[in-house]
Amino acid sequence: MLELRAINTFRGPAHVLRSLSLRVGDGEAVCLVGRNGAGKTTTLESAINLLPIRSGTVLFKDRDITRLPAHARARLGIGYSPEDAGIFPDLTVAENLEIGRIASRADGAAGRAAVDERVRALFPEIDALVSRRGLNLSGGQKKMVAIARAMALAPAVLLLDEPFEGLAPVVVTRLVEAAKRIKAMGISLLIAESNVTNATRVADRLYAIDRGEIIFQGDPRTALANTDVMKTLRG
Amino acid sequence: MDTLLTQILNSLFYASILFLIACGLSLVYGVMRIVNMAHGSLYAVGAYVAAWAVGLVASYLHVSLLLVLLLIGAAAAALAGALLEPTLLRPLYQRPEEYQLLMTFGLLLILEDLMRMVWGPYPLTASALSEFFPSISVLGATYPGYNIFVIVVGGAAAVGLWAFIYRTRFGILLRATSQNMRMASALGVDVKRIYVQAFTIGCLMAGLGGAVVMPLSGAVLGMGVDALILAFVVVVIGGLGSLEGALVGALIVGAVRTLGIMYFAEIELAVLYLIAAVVLFLRPAGLFGRA
Repeated sequence: MLELRAINTFRGPAHVLRSLSLRVGDGEAVCLVGRNGAGKTTTLESAINLLPIRSGTVLFKDRDITRLPAHARARLGIGYSPEDAGIFPDLTVAENLEIGRIASRADGAAGRAAVDERVRALFPEIDALVSRRGLNLSGGQKKMVAIARAMALAPAVLLLDEPFEGLAPVVVTRLVEAAKRIKAMGISLLIAESNVTNATRVADRLYAIDRGEIIFQGDPRTALANTDVMKTLRG
Repeated sequence: MDTLLTQILNSLFYASILFLIACGLSLVYGVMRIVNMAHGSLYAVGAYVAAWAVGLVASYLHVSLLLVLLLIGAAAAALAGALLEPTLLRPLYQRPEEYQLLMTFGLLLILEDLMRMVWGPYPLTASALSEFFPSISVLGATYPGYNIFVIVVGGAAAVGLWAFIYRTRFGILLRATSQNMRMASALGVDVKRIYVQAFTIGCLMAGLGGAVVMPLSGAVLGMGVDALILAFVVVVIGGLGSLEGALVGALIVGAVRTLGIMYFAEIELAVLYLIAAVVLFLRPAGLFGRA
């Protein structure tokens, strides 16, 4: 579905991602785990092209999209929810969702209505918030609206950057459930997460990243049993 | 009573023109974070092209039809904007603001010289248009009909622009891009397209302002710079990037100019700058701006 092949990405002069390769299969939930500053956000931003890569290849459904700008990638079906949720503060929740709907891949009015219905079923609590402005949402509400907004694109793969960070445990559980339901819809997930335990609640497969390099990939249980990996991840 | 009403109408008349210029300046800054120094020159382009178009066919068409030609002035400024943004401004977005300021300032000088080259140093006029409107009697006061027309155009532009920005899908994209350009692009919004459209709309409004003022004051060299300075005062008071700010700023400056002409003509501009300075001191982002 989505593949990064030997990408190198810089932030200013800093060489952040070093020949990083990563694959998300069809309908698969993949977690990218690492400490703060390891390169998780940079990986996701490279995948959507909010940060241009210096070298390497990005493939989506076996098509080379390395040269496509962010908006074209979104329209192809890559949904993205950033770490800070990226809610437009002066737009209402309804307008925030409308942005996703405008570029939606869903066909015709019926297709869009079906996507709307799916998003509503995923987060019924958003119904009560539609007229509220983005800046008046709580942290958990922002994360939900950001995921719902990305879902309005009718994506084939969803990139979630730290979706559980800073949230109360009950909200985390709520979002973990939502992630599982998104996966059940056949949508692939790539989740950047610093908490290994949270990652193992969702992931089919796990990548561990440290200093811009993948140091482990495989089954989440194997990662938990690997003391070297756990030591690196927990610092 | 008559004098008061006349002064209120004069204030609204000035405010209409100022709003037409300042709203585009504010829109472009709000969406693209560019202070367009050439904005006043696009206002002048609107005036010159409208005057030229009217002069070209004045002897063939009835005056009422000539009014439609004012739209050609607005369209010419919009077209100039649609060409200038992708060619001259787009390459500079990754650079510091000084580059954009220098570029738009250079553009101001080039446009001024181009207008001098094409239309010569003498003013172009089309006073037949303003004379076509008979004076109107409003509650006992007699007021030039064309000035009422300008007030109506300004009011309609304010309502139309507001509806466009707050009630259409394109408006949602525009506001989203202005608030978080990166996130908008990650959600499928083609930011380059939004930029060129925003810049074109800004120039269209400036061109419309120039075109409607032309039958009264003519198309004159230097009119763009004068307009730019007043537009800056408007947006400093109202808040750069805010449509409501442009409207309220235009109303304040319009009222102060009207009062100034009556009571303190010598220091009229100084008073305006003083108000702008006080606003900057108390609310650095302007009355409606967000710091």
